[in-house]
Amino acid sequence: MNEKNSDIFSRIESYYSDYGQRAKELKNEGKKIIGYVCSFIPLEIITAAGCVPFRMRGDIHEPITKGNINLETIACPFYRSCFDLSVKGRYDFLDGSIVAHACDSMARTYAVWKYTLDLPYSHFVNLPHTLSKSSMEFFNEELNTFRKSLGGFAGKEISDDDLAEAIGLYNENRDKVKALYELRKPDPPIISGTELTKILTVGASLPVAEANQLFDEVLEELGKRKESPLKKVRRIMIDGACVDNIELVKLIEDLGGNVVIDTLCNGTRDNLPHTDIGGDPVSALADRYLNKINCPRTYRENKEQDLHKDLESRFGDIGFYAREFKADGAILYVYKYCDPFGFEVPARKAYFDSIKLPLLYLEDEYSAGTIGQLKTRIQAFLEMLG
Amino acid sequence: MTKVVIMGEEIMSSVIGPTGPEQRRLANNVMKEALNRAGLPFKSISYVVATGYGRINVPFADKQITEITCHARGVASFFPDARTIIDIGGQDSKGIKINNGRPIDFVMNDKCAAGSGRFLEIIADTLGIKIEEMGELALQSKNPAVISNICTIFAEQEVVDKLAEGIPLKNLVAGILESLANRVSRMVKRLKIEREVILTGGVAKNAGMVQALSDKLGYPVSVPPEPLLTGAVGATLLGKEIAQKAKERDESPERKERSLKEIEIL
Amino acid sequence: MAEEKKKHKKRRTATEAAASIGPMVKEFISGTLRAKEEGRKVAFTFIVCLYDEILRAMDILPVWTENFAGICGAKRDAERFLERSESLGLSRSLCTYALCGIGFDQWREELGEMPPDAPWGGQVRPDMMLSSGQILCDPRNKWYQASQLYMPDVPVYNIDLPYPLYEDDVEFTDVRDYYVKHIIEELRGLVAFLEKQTGTKMDYDRLSETVDLGERTWNLIWETYDLRRAVPTPMGTGDAMNTMVPMCFMMGTQEAYDFFLGLNKELKEKVARKEGVVEDEKYRLLWGGGLPSWFALSDFNYFNSKGAVFPAETTYRMIESMYQIYMPDTNDPIERLAWRWFGYWVFWHNKARKRPGSHPDVEWLIQYIEDYKIDGIVMHEAFSCRTWHLGLIWQLNQLAKIYKPIPVLVLGKDGKKEKTNRELPSLVLESDIIDITTYSEVDTRNRIDAFIETLESVAKSKVH
Repeated sequence: MNEKNSDIFSRIESYYSDYGQRAKELKNEGKKIIGYVCSFIPLEIITAAGCVPFRMRGDIHEPITKGNINLETIACPFYRSCFDLSVKGRYDFLDGSIVAHACDSMARTYAVWKYTLDLPYSHFVNLPHTLSKSSMEFFNEELNTFRKSLGGFAGKEISDDDLAEAIGLYNENRDKVKALYELRKPDPPIISGTELTKILTVGASLPVAEANQLFDEVLEELGKRKESPLKKVRRIMIDGACVDNIELVKLIEDLGGNVVIDTLCNGTRDNLPHTDIGGDPVSALADRYLNKINCPRTYRENKEQDLHKDLESRFGDIGFYAREFKADGAILYVYKYCDPFGFEVPARKAYFDSIKLPLLYLEDEYSAGTIGQLKTRIQAFLEMLG
Repeated sequence: MTKVVIMGEEIMSSVIGPTGPEQRRLANNVMKEALNRAGLPFKSISYVVATGYGRINVPFADKQITEITCHARGVASFFPDARTIIDIGGQDSKGIKINNGRPIDFVMNDKCAAGSGRFLEIIADTLGIKIEEMGELALQSKNPAVISNICTIFAEQEVVDKLAEGIPLKNLVAGILESLANRVSRMVKRLKIEREVILTGGVAKNAGMVQALSDKLGYPVSVPPEPLLTGAVGATLLGKEIAQKAKERDESPERKERSLKEIEIL
Repeated sequence: MAEEKKKHKKRRTATEAAASIGPMVKEFISGTLRAKEEGRKVAFTFIVCLYDEILRAMDILPVWTENFAGICGAKRDAERFLERSESLGLSRSLCTYALCGIGFDQWREELGEMPPDAPWGGQVRPDMMLSSGQILCDPRNKWYQASQLYMPDVPVYNIDLPYPLYEDDVEFTDVRDYYVKHIIEELRGLVAFLEKQTGTKMDYDRLSETVDLGERTWNLIWETYDLRRAVPTPMGTGDAMNTMVPMCFMMGTQEAYDFFLGLNKELKEKVARKEGVVEDEKYRLLWGGGLPSWFALSDFNYFNSKGAVFPAETTYRMIESMYQIYMPDTNDPIERLAWRWFGYWVFWHNKARKRPGSHPDVEWLIQYIEDYKIDGIVMHEAFSCRTWHLGLIWQLNQLAKIYKPIPVLVLGKDGKKEKTNRELPSLVLESDIIDITTYSEVDTRNRIDAFIETLESVAKSKVH
């Protein structure tokens, strides 16, 4: 970042490196901070309850130690890192945590999380796996249970109007993220992947209104960039789950690729889908979280027994993004022990093949210790792309 | 091992030197040796490419290219029809699919010793034999032992136990080679192997291993004359292309500040 | 391979009933092969998915894919299928049952016939695959979808079967209505799918009979397993890993009922004769969680050789007494199934609420420790399965924290002996369900030996 006078970027840097500093301040002001780890947590309900949702991060530089006392090493390494940091007190400003039925690593360890951290509030949001009419109705009820439970904790009955207001704020937030993504479309992009990862990561640690404010300032500052600070090199997509440390993206960019688009949880998966407005707010949220968030944990029925159509319905967003952002190659980045993504690797490969996008598949731990290994693979992949 | 290849119209000299915690910094010494043998001063070298695991530790290189790309190029120069390369080195093992001397897909194992030549070194040490003897010993076995542990440390223990049970040494060695062949072929099969398959790296000098791998894959694999040098040869050829292209444009190739010294690492 | 196979002899079981399971499982597999030839419909299925009775009532033959993988494991012949899956791009860190199954199926599809020397004739090509998204197991949600890549014409139907987790501020009765309603809808959706696949309508009278038989079987199993409380215990977990077969693969059939009738009789006779699993029963252990290593079931015999028996296990205890499960007044078999499912999964909630710091999973352990006079707990952490194995260590830790049943004397600060209570000793074994490369017999048995020594020393220091 060459803009010396852009103090917005140094603020982001500070929020990124001292993650949670704003949440701590808000806690001291008497706000209730509610931690979460996954895209499936309905943030609108937390905000409507007057609480502050806070996306917990892992730390690839911190070896997992204390977390292993109560949590098996066969769980998702990213989730274990978040748990380990929590046990070590990194997030001891939290008043509660919400876990979603996203995957076994989360669902099967809810008790471990709840009893070990022993926060004043915790809740498990049970998502259906299928998209049937009955599933949608069930999820609607389940969201209402959560709404009532959290309202009980926050001492506030969450009204439809509260929800509608929160939905409005989050939709605005998603518009701004979309605007940030638009800056990746030029070649070279106006904004690097490393910068954007930091911005989005930081955004998820703030109350949504503050995140909106921050994104506005970032957009204004970036509007002043007449020329891209980046080189015109190969444009890379990252396909995978949550990559909330900048190291992977930075490594790709240091090796001479521009990361221009992703399907990541803390990227497009979390940040782009909107909630419909006008109707019943809870149904609209149910639809957004269950239907619109495309994660392999949700089963999308192969209705016509047609392989091609099935791949298109499951992975069509990948192809859409690849075209929109003119990706030259993609990296499928999957954590070890991840059942939802792990079982899809052959199908995802088949899909990338069908859209003729060169692919590098990486299985990784959540640790800075593997960066050397990633480096050779990514460099070789960039050499392959030429 | 640190390898240096110097090429003009053809290979002028090649040296295979040691790599270890101490020698890692000393790529310059191997380079000096190669220059001596070729009878050339360092300044006459028009372009230097560093590759492999230690490519970042070569302060006198003009460019770093991964071993994947270099192996592809090197192997294609010996075997124009090669489609798949299996490289088993001391640090790692990899499979590379190639087309016209360029990699089109690859898989790697550099996470675990049991899939690399290091596995054989450790087991040879445990059994008190020389690693060079393993191939011949294994070829004498008709009933390779089953080594079920995939972790080097556990496999080492298993080998000791089996030796105590009285299983003949040759069967154990054959079992160990089979186990490595198993792991490597399991990984390489992710590439949908096409023939012709070339085996490179130090392990390719082990006749027992070549046999075990061919058996596992179900068809013969070829080995280049100097299987340790294909990566270095590839690097040299890629460097030569860069230098020649620059020359065609009447420019000198983009080069780095060179120093034929050991690097400083903390 | 030859050396390994010779060593692997038939395992000794305590009961004759358990010994009769082998041929029964073999018959499943050959039965599905025959059925396929005869043109009957066969469906890929998972255990504990609530559809057993529905399939039986519609004459659809289930192919239990986890069972087939377990057989490959028990025969020590899973490795080649696991490797094949890996070469398809699937990580070895995923569920090895699924990897074994997908590897086998892909191989069969590629050849157009069974892979060479397929265990017990192999796993048949299905007419349909019935997935289940539960709160229990991701692979059940993903496995058949992954298999479909190699058999795109075989339809998958996925049913959602949720149950609520234990919360402080929400009781299961608060959410029961919408859970049960959803499960009923999902089951009706499944029936409609099966009707379409078979071209025949569900005979609901028959389904009622099957569900009724299933419920009677649940009660019979509960009563039968309860006989294992006897000292010495007439049957251990080693046998239960066999008798889980009729429980988990044959529910809703007369054979399953008859099997447990036979086992019930056998156990009663043993109890009357005071005939135990071992002659001199020293330690009564609870298998407190984790699927077994199917290739190393003889470890149970090793425990027995040290005088240790397992009168109870939580693994594959997929039934409860129907008398204790809330069932509304309904004759609709689909509704009965849904209520049974819900009741099973919230079974321990109310008890847990009464003990500070407790949790249903922990409460279950405590109940068995008391009912079966348990001296120690053994668990198995299978590396490839998150479903059954995440949370086990925590359960042990939490149990130790809130439940200390053993009175012992310790040296107090003033040098005098003080009476206090300690937790039960526990042992966690580590390996896998079918991936034999993770198993070391020497290491496992060293751990067992050390555990037995601990039990011995605790027994000595126990104050009576």
